[in-house]
Order: sequence, then structure tokens, then C-alpha cells
Amino acid sequence: MSDVAPAVVLDGVRKTYQLGGQPVHALRDVSLRLPRGSYTAVMGPSGSGKSTLMNLVGCLDTPTDGRVVVDGTEVGGLSEEARTEIRGSKIGFVFQTFNLMPRLTAAENVALPMLFQGVPGRQRDQRAADLLDRVGLGDRTDHQPNELSGGQRQRVAVARALANDPALLLADEPTGNLDSETGRAIMELFADLHEAGNTVLVVTHERHIAEHADRIVHLLDGGVEREERIAEPRRPTAAGGQSAGGSGGSSERSVGSGGGDGS
Amino acid sequence: MNPFESFRMSVRAIRGHRLRSVLTTLGVAIGVAAVITFVTLGASLQADVIGEVSGGQSPSMTVSAAPDQNQPGPAGDGQAVFTEHDVDQLREVEDVDAVVPSGSVPVSGLAAGGRTLGYNQLTATTPPYFEYVSRADFQSGGPFEQGAREVVVNEPAARLFPGNVSVGDTVTVVRQDGSRVNATVAGILAASEGPFGNTPLPQVFVPTDPFYDNSLSAPSSDSPQRVYPSLTVVATSFETIEAVQSDVRGYLDDESDARTLKPESYELRVQTVEDLVDQIRDLLDTFTAFVTGVAVISLVVGSIGIANIMLVSVTERTREIGIMKAVGAQNTDVLQLFLVEAVVLGVLGSLAGIVLGVLGAFAATEYVGLPMTFPVEWGGIAVAVGILVGVAAGLYPAWSAAKTDPIDALRYE
Ligand SMILES: Nc1ncnc2c1ncn2[C@@H]1O[C@H](COP(=O)(O)OP(=O)(O)OP(=O)(O)O)[C@@H](O)[C@H]1O
Ligand SMILES: [Mg+2]
Repeated sequence: MSDVAPAVVLDGVRKTYQLGGQPVHALRDVSLRLPRGSYTAVMGPSGSGKSTLMNLVGCLDTPTDGRVVVDGTEVGGLSEEARTEIRGSKIGFVFQTFNLMPRLTAAENVALPMLFQGVPGRQRDQRAADLLDRVGLGDRTDHQPNELSGGQRQRVAVARALANDPALLLADEPTGNLDSETGRAIMELFADLHEAGNTVLVVTHERHIAEHADRIVHLLDGGVEREERIAEPRRPTAAGGQSAGGSGGSSERSVGSGGGDGS
Repeated sequence: MNPFESFRMSVRAIRGHRLRSVLTTLGVAIGVAAVITFVTLGASLQADVIGEVSGGQSPSMTVSAAPDQNQPGPAGDGQAVFTEHDVDQLREVEDVDAVVPSGSVPVSGLAAGGRTLGYNQLTATTPPYFEYVSRADFQSGGPFEQGAREVVVNEPAARLFPGNVSVGDTVTVVRQDGSRVNATVAGILAASEGPFGNTPLPQVFVPTDPFYDNSLSAPSSDSPQRVYPSLTVVATSFETIEAVQSDVRGYLDDESDARTLKPESYELRVQTVEDLVDQIRDLLDTFTAFVTGVAVISLVVGSIGIANIMLVSVTERTREIGIMKAVGAQNTDVLQLFLVEAVVLGVLGSLAGIVLGVLGAFAATEYVGLPMTFPVEWGGIAVAVGILVGVAAGLYPAWSAAKTDPIDALRYE
């Protein structure tokens, strides 16, 4: 990995929420470095701070303490406008809660990030249709989110995240609601993006999904518990989910063996 | 973002919240419609009344005595203070064509065609009245003669009696002391509409001689003379009317009998037709201003409605705003979206308001019986105001939508 200009650097990052005067430490002293073109998975029990981390890297939020550097720029020092610009042009975000526009169709949802980047209408429609096709929703382009299943909504969210061909893809449990077959299709999209030289950061509870990355970061109680290198990442084309790599996927939480429930 | 895209998104948002949009639009529409209806009604009324008052007028002025108040209005029956002597003197004023006295004769009733009707007053005047003052044409017959026992009735009066009286018939005047005087109908005036479109009341005119016997001993001659509550002085032309007015004024203030006969608290008035028109115009302007004020209030209410609904809409769409900002919408994009939406609602409301307003104005003028005068500039103003109201009312909500923090907005349930 050439660490010349990492895509993302977290340096002593803290995020503390105030809940009725009571501080909640969502992240405490996290330092992390995502080299350009790397593929990283984040695992950890519920409440360990994974989504908080994604929001910081995704320029949606700023740290209480420490530095978040995305693409060579420190996020904390940027104006809201500049952060919005980075979100729009460089980052694709698959939210844990999908965050689709309720009154827009699937195709319009996917086209939305392109709209704000000034992509011409016809090109937007073309690309939206294309992306929906690739997540297996070619026949659902005109459905509104409330006319879609949970897994279908998740796939629309994935397609939307890919809309502007982001240099940095952030996905918060992108396969949480999917069967292994559609999950595999999603992982294939991510692999393509990764192979094209983009940086990917995926949060997941599933070991076999995490094994697509070249590294797994384990979070526990707002801190990095340990980092794990995957010598030979899975490739989604090897269709049989469990067979190929390490078989440790029997229990989702098998790695974070400490008391993981503290929230 | 391209404004056209904003427009498309706004239209979607408007159609997505049909009821809310309709209510907002209705608020503006009612405001604009109210302005247009009221202003049109005011303008039509003004045009009509002024036309009626000034149209076909002779260059005349009304001389009367009335309580000293600064209230405008046509001269009514004041105190009878103008003597025969005053009438003669005014006739001598330069450029005066005629001086027509008039007064009322209280009676008990009228009888004709075998029927006696209660009737309380006749108008006593001289023959030139029908040439200069009355604006009605003779339907048949002509003016009475001074000194003759003749009457002129207008058409509504003629119809009071069974079989309608006609020229040459005899009408019996029952005086207040019960004595009866027979008079011949000399002429019948055609019914003309009053300035407010009302049909005229029945009127019966008689010559001052022999019917009018309201008299006092005049200061100028010590002998009893007829006294009249009002005179109409007719100038030779509109060019001379102002000079005549000041001469008349001068005579009244310095030499007239009226000046000594009038009570201290009364003033002598000389009112030309133009004064009257001006006064009526003033009155109607005030009326229009009042009515416009009412309309503007409704427009303000409409705009508060828009602001309110836009605010609710922003709150309701907090999460959507968060999503848009999360995927790259700048503050200006969000601002633009909400502003365009407000403007679209304002324009829709204004257009609907014009249609409603013109229909309303048409119905109102039709109901009152006025020819409609549509003040076009007001239509433009109403639309401009409607759009402005949309922008103004949408500005704060749009601004507060734009500055929403995406992470907070995404958390908003
Ligand atoms: N806005 C907030 N205010 C207060 N506390 C918060 C807020 N957001 C998150 N937290 C707290 O921060 C901690 C980390 O939350 P986070 O959403 O990052 O967890 P997570 O690892 O994504 O969990 P999950 O796997 O369930 O999604 C939790 O204890 C949570 O209660
Ligand atoms: Mg989470």
C-alpha cells in the first residue's frame, strides 16, 4: 500500500454526545488510516460506534476532538458548503437506515446525487436505470420506497451511493436485509468499484462479508479493539458463500470476544 | 442547481401534498380576489357616480343655508332664508342666466281618478327648473306656468293613481288645513335613474305662485316675501361659473337678506356642480381606500397562511432536507427549492385570484347594477403582490430549511 496520500486519516478522534448533561462517548481516541484504493471492513457489536465513525468519515459530522482528514483536507476546518461539496462529488454513502426520499421513485432517488452535481437529465436517467439494473431492480424503477421491500430499498440506497462514481464508498450494513444471492450482487458492485481504484469502507456484522475486504477493523465500546489483515480477500464471483475462505462465519460476533453489550 | 430542475422538484412537492397546496393557493387566491373585487367595485362606482353627477349638467350652483359643519355632501333642505329680493338681486349678477328657487310645500294628500292618497310634500319651484335643474325629460306635456294652478308630476307619481294620471287631468291638492285646491297636470317627467341606479321616488312639482306661501318680512323691504331654502343659480357657461360663484358669494355675504335671516350657527353655501363632483370623488376615494384596506388585510392573512404552511412543510420535510443535503444538496439548492415552491404557489394563487376576483367584481357590479370598470393596473398589482407574498412568506421557512444540519435532519423522526 503506497501511503503517500491516504484517502482517509483519523487521528485521535473522539465523539462525545451530551444526553441530558450526561456525556455519551460514542468514539474515544480512534486513529485509523485508509490508504487510497483500500478495502476495509468495520465490525463490532451494536452501539460500538460504527455508524458514528461512518458519519465522521462521510463528512456529515465533525469530531468533538481529534482530526478527520478526507482526501488530504481536514474536515473539521471546512465550511458546511465545502463539506457538502465533498459529500456530493467524492463520497457515496449507503445509510444503515437507507434514507430514501419517500415521494421520489427508485430511479429518481438514484438520480438525486447526480442532480445536485449538475449532471444533465438524460444522462442521469440513463445511469440511474443502469445502476438499478445492476442491483437487480430493473423492473422497479418507478416504484416509490413504500412500494418496495426492505431489501429492495437497501439496494436502491446502494445504487444511489454509486451514482456519482465515488472515490470513497461508505456502506453501513449494505447487506443487512439481503439474502446471500442479492448480497453477493451488491458485493460484486463494491468489488468493481474497488478494482477501479476507489476506496471502500463497509460496516457489517457478517464475517463472510467482511472477508471481502483486505482488512477488518474491530471496534469495541468506541475504540479500535484490533485490526485484522485478510491475506486473501474473498471475491464475490466465487458464488458459494461459505466455502471459499476462512469458515469462521458461524457466529456473527465470534471475533469481538469481550463483553460487547456496553452501550 | 438549474432553476428548471428546482421547478420540476417543486411541482412534484406541490402535487405530493395536494391538500396543503390547495389550501395555501386558496389563501393567496382569496386575498388577491378580494383586492380585485373591491377595487373594481370602487372604481366602477366612482366612474358611474361621477358620470351621473357631472354628465349633462348645466353650469349651475346650489345656494343653501346649512349648519356650519365641515361635512361635505349635497345641499339638502336647509333653513328657508333666501327671499324673493335675494332671487331678484342674484338675477342681476353678471353672467347669470337664471335663478331658480325651490322649496317644499307641506300637504296632507293628493286626489285624482277618484282616489285620495296621503302625500306630504310638493316641490315648489319656477318653470326654468325643468330647463336647468331637473335632468329628466318630459314624457308628455311641458312645464307649468307661474301663477297657474298647474302641476308637473314625474312618472312614478303619475302611476300612484288608478289609471295613471295624464296631461290635462285634474289633481286635487289637499292642504294641511284641509282645503282642497284643484290643479291641472301640465306635464309628466320621464323617470330617470338616480346616481346609484335607484328608481326615483314620486315627485310632484308646483309653481311657487300660488302654491308656495312660506313667507317672512324681508329686511330689505319690510314687506312679507316668499323665502326659499335653496336656490339654483345658473351661469351662462362653465367658463364663467367661477366668477359667478364668487360674485354670488360676495352678494350673499355682504348684502343679502339671507345673511341676516340665517341663524348664527348656519353658513351660506354656494356649491357648484364641480364642487359636488369633487366631494363625491373624495368620498368615493375614501370608500375605495377603506375597501382596499380590507382587501389588503385579506391578502396579509393569505400570506400568513402561506408562511405557516411553508413552515409546517419544512418541519414535515426535515428528514427529506437532511437526505438531500447528505447526498450533496447545497444550502442554496434547498433554499431555491423552497422558494420556487412558494413562488409557484403564489403565482397559482394569484392567477386563481384574478379569475375569482374578476368573476366576483362582475357579480358585484351586476348586483349593484353598475357598468364594470376594471382597473387593469390593479390586476397587475394584485398578481405582483401575490407573488411577492409567496416569496416573502416562503423566505423564512426556506432559509430555515436550508440551514438545517444534515446529521440532525437525518435523525429527525
Ligand atoms: N445523537 C446521539 N445522541 C446521543 N447518543 C448517541 C447519538 N448517536 C449515537 N449515540 C450513541 O453513541 C453510541 C454509538 O452509536 P452508533 O450509532 O455509532 O452505534 P453502531 O455501532 O452503529 O450500532 P449498530 O450496530 O446498532 O448500528 C451508542 O451508544 C449510541 O447510543
Ligand atoms: Mg449503526
